[in-house]
Amino acid sequence: MFVKKRNRALGLAVPVAILIGLAGCAAEPAPVVPAEGGDLVAASPYATDSLDPHGPAGMASGTVLVAQEIFSRLVKANTSGEIVSDLAESWETNDTATEWTFALREDVVFSDGSPLTSADVVSSFNRVLELKGPVAGNFAGVTISSPDDLTVVFTSDKSEAALLGKLTVFFVTPADVTDSSFTEPVGSGPFVLDSFTPGSEVVLAPNEEYFDGAPLLDSLTFRVIPEVAARLTALQSGEVQVTWGVPDDQLPQLQSDPGLVVETVPSTSVATMWFNSSRPALSSAEVRNAIWQAVDFDTIIAALFPETGEAATSAVAENVFGFAAQSPKEYDPDAAKATLEDAGFDFSQTLQIQFSGATYRQFIQAIASDLAKIGVTAEPTEKESAVFLEDLLALNWDINFQALSTATFDAATNLGRLYPCAANRTGYCNDELDALLLEAGGTSDLEVRQEAYADAIEIIWDDAVGMYPMALKIAYASQSTVQGLDPDPSFLPEFSKVSVSQ
Amino acid sequence: MTATVTPVSVRRPTLRLWWIPLAIVIFYALVAVCGPLLLSYDPVDTPLADRLLPPGSATTSGSIAVFGTDSLGRDVFAQVVYGARTSMLIGLSTVAICCAVGVALGVLAGYFGKILDAVLGRFTDVLLAFPGIVLAIVVAGLFERSIGLVILALSLTGWISFARLARGSAVSFRSRDWVDAARVMGVSSGSIMLRHILPFVVGPVAALFTVEFGLIVLAEAGLSFLGIGLPASAVSWGQVIASGKEYLATAWWISAFPGIALAVLVLVVGLLGDQLSSRYQRGSTTR
Repeated sequence: MFVKKRNRALGLAVPVAILIGLAGCAAEPAPVVPAEGGDLVAASPYATDSLDPHGPAGMASGTVLVAQEIFSRLVKANTSGEIVSDLAESWETNDTATEWTFALREDVVFSDGSPLTSADVVSSFNRVLELKGPVAGNFAGVTISSPDDLTVVFTSDKSEAALLGKLTVFFVTPADVTDSSFTEPVGSGPFVLDSFTPGSEVVLAPNEEYFDGAPLLDSLTFRVIPEVAARLTALQSGEVQVTWGVPDDQLPQLQSDPGLVVETVPSTSVATMWFNSSRPALSSAEVRNAIWQAVDFDTIIAALFPETGEAATSAVAENVFGFAAQSPKEYDPDAAKATLEDAGFDFSQTLQIQFSGATYRQFIQAIASDLAKIGVTAEPTEKESAVFLEDLLALNWDINFQALSTATFDAATNLGRLYPCAANRTGYCNDELDALLLEAGGTSDLEVRQEAYADAIEIIWDDAVGMYPMALKIAYASQSTVQGLDPDPSFLPEFSKVSVSQ
Repeated sequence: MTATVTPVSVRRPTLRLWWIPLAIVIFYALVAVCGPLLLSYDPVDTPLADRLLPPGSATTSGSIAVFGTDSLGRDVFAQVVYGARTSMLIGLSTVAICCAVGVALGVLAGYFGKILDAVLGRFTDVLLAFPGIVLAIVVAGLFERSIGLVILALSLTGWISFARLARGSAVSFRSRDWVDAARVMGVSSGSIMLRHILPFVVGPVAALFTVEFGLIVLAEAGLSFLGIGLPASAVSWGQVIASGKEYLATAWWISAFPGIALAVLVLVVGLLGDQLSSRYQRGSTTR
């Protein structure tokens, strides 16, 4: 599954040799190098502004990244996208997925020594709902109750087939937390907070009480280095040991460094370029398909994202539940131009391609260049993220670019949420698609859901609600002394099993 | 008088090379005017097969990329030439607007004095309290991107120095004998300002013009570097430098050539400004 590039032979040999030499001098006989201990500094691409996982920053990557080390969840997603047990030992649901029952582990204690019970889970969940932050948006209409100390039950009027995935962003805190508790948070995760400078650095120490065994590291630091060049220099100089989200053009520089290990892992993100179907020019599926056909995505991906991109075959990523492969759109500018002419497309208009952030600027410029070749004027329009979001929701765009990820690993999050007529996010409306999405979201029968999503994706793909040109991978780069790092497909690696050899 | 003679004799060695900055500025102007006529460049066209070629490489279209190509395969040399036009256009327009507005207000305030002078003085004090570039970022960030917007944003505070200079000169000239004589003869205020004061303001203003021009070119590059103001279709040195900043270790030429072009222009314009201001200051002290 992983595409690995390892240059570690030399990098490992040197530290191992030194360690064996040191071990000879040490009092304790330790012939085999133990993969324990060490201080790890991770250069995070995201700033952590708050440690409150229930509040307004609850879905921000910077907060979730640290929250998953300090707090525990009922369930979490492993790196291949499967939902696995965390605080919950087991769970079950009824046929219509309106009631979910979770049995908690018995032996869990918070870092202050108090036991974690269902009362803490209930109270945390209610706090999420009360704060009405971004996390609460996942749980509209869901209520929680606890029949006993080790059981919690979620109930909802409508079917919540994807609840498990949504619970991966729900963190359990002690029942008595207030907004001010998060300067010294108490959690049940693998680490406890040592120091926190909002927006720049978080230092964590191992939690010896952690139910899954204390982590190996002596300390874990997340340091924010927003500038890519500075981040990579810090990695090469040894100031930090791990970073991720490295752009393609910077990878060769890291791969040629014998002290570093670079690997890429498929993410849940798909480059998604919706057409605004409510614009008369883009209302017909022929026109939208023709524009898709006019762009040589294979060449663009090969030139700009040789390592971290590949042609997408579906509207969701391959590791997301509901994925169904579609036949790729052939690049054919002549046919595209003929179709547009037949459809009476107005070549004098300018289509704006809106996007935010510099990562995909070149990608979008290259697309505009291909469209210009068949006479379609497309103008890449970069917006501040706040303005971008406002215009996105107001359908104030012709073509829109997002790298859309699926944090819950379930197609319900993106397809079920964004594509129904009622959501009105793309200007596209299709009753048949609505019915399929409703069916998929209304049952806990996995086969029925899988089939319904496959049919839904086929409609979305064939009608070209958007262009889905590229599935994205994430490049992780670490010093070769770092052991046990499992690259995470949603940009949020965990460090409880990681160690640094000296 | 001896005090004014000494600096002249000290300055003599530099005077022999006085024409160099002027020649370079004229060269830039020629490139800005004629370069785009000789060299075609389409910022939309992105020949990806040619990306990140070092200076002097042959591209797939058969031409030689003298300054190399950028991360989308576009010719850096063409971008430097087209960027010169953008910089010159914005620099000249902005300084012309600043100069016209500033000198007009300054002469009026200086000649009439009293309330007009006080109001203008306090107003410029308030404007000066904001750093010019911050004000420009706010204005340029608020509206739809265009060249006109950048000129407006940079003009907002640029006129102040012209106004102060013109006011100062007008205040000192309005009580001179020939102005009094004109007034006694019944010449109108407008004509006095136009014919008896303005001609003496022109010299120092010309010196300030060049200094401000350099600062405006730099400020425009700064705005473009931050991705504010200019539309994506306009080629600007600041934009090119910013687009190459992630490639400094692997493709230095993207940022280096427009950076050198910008640095040299600002430097020579500054030297030219120094020459002009020392000439006119000398002129005013001997008078």
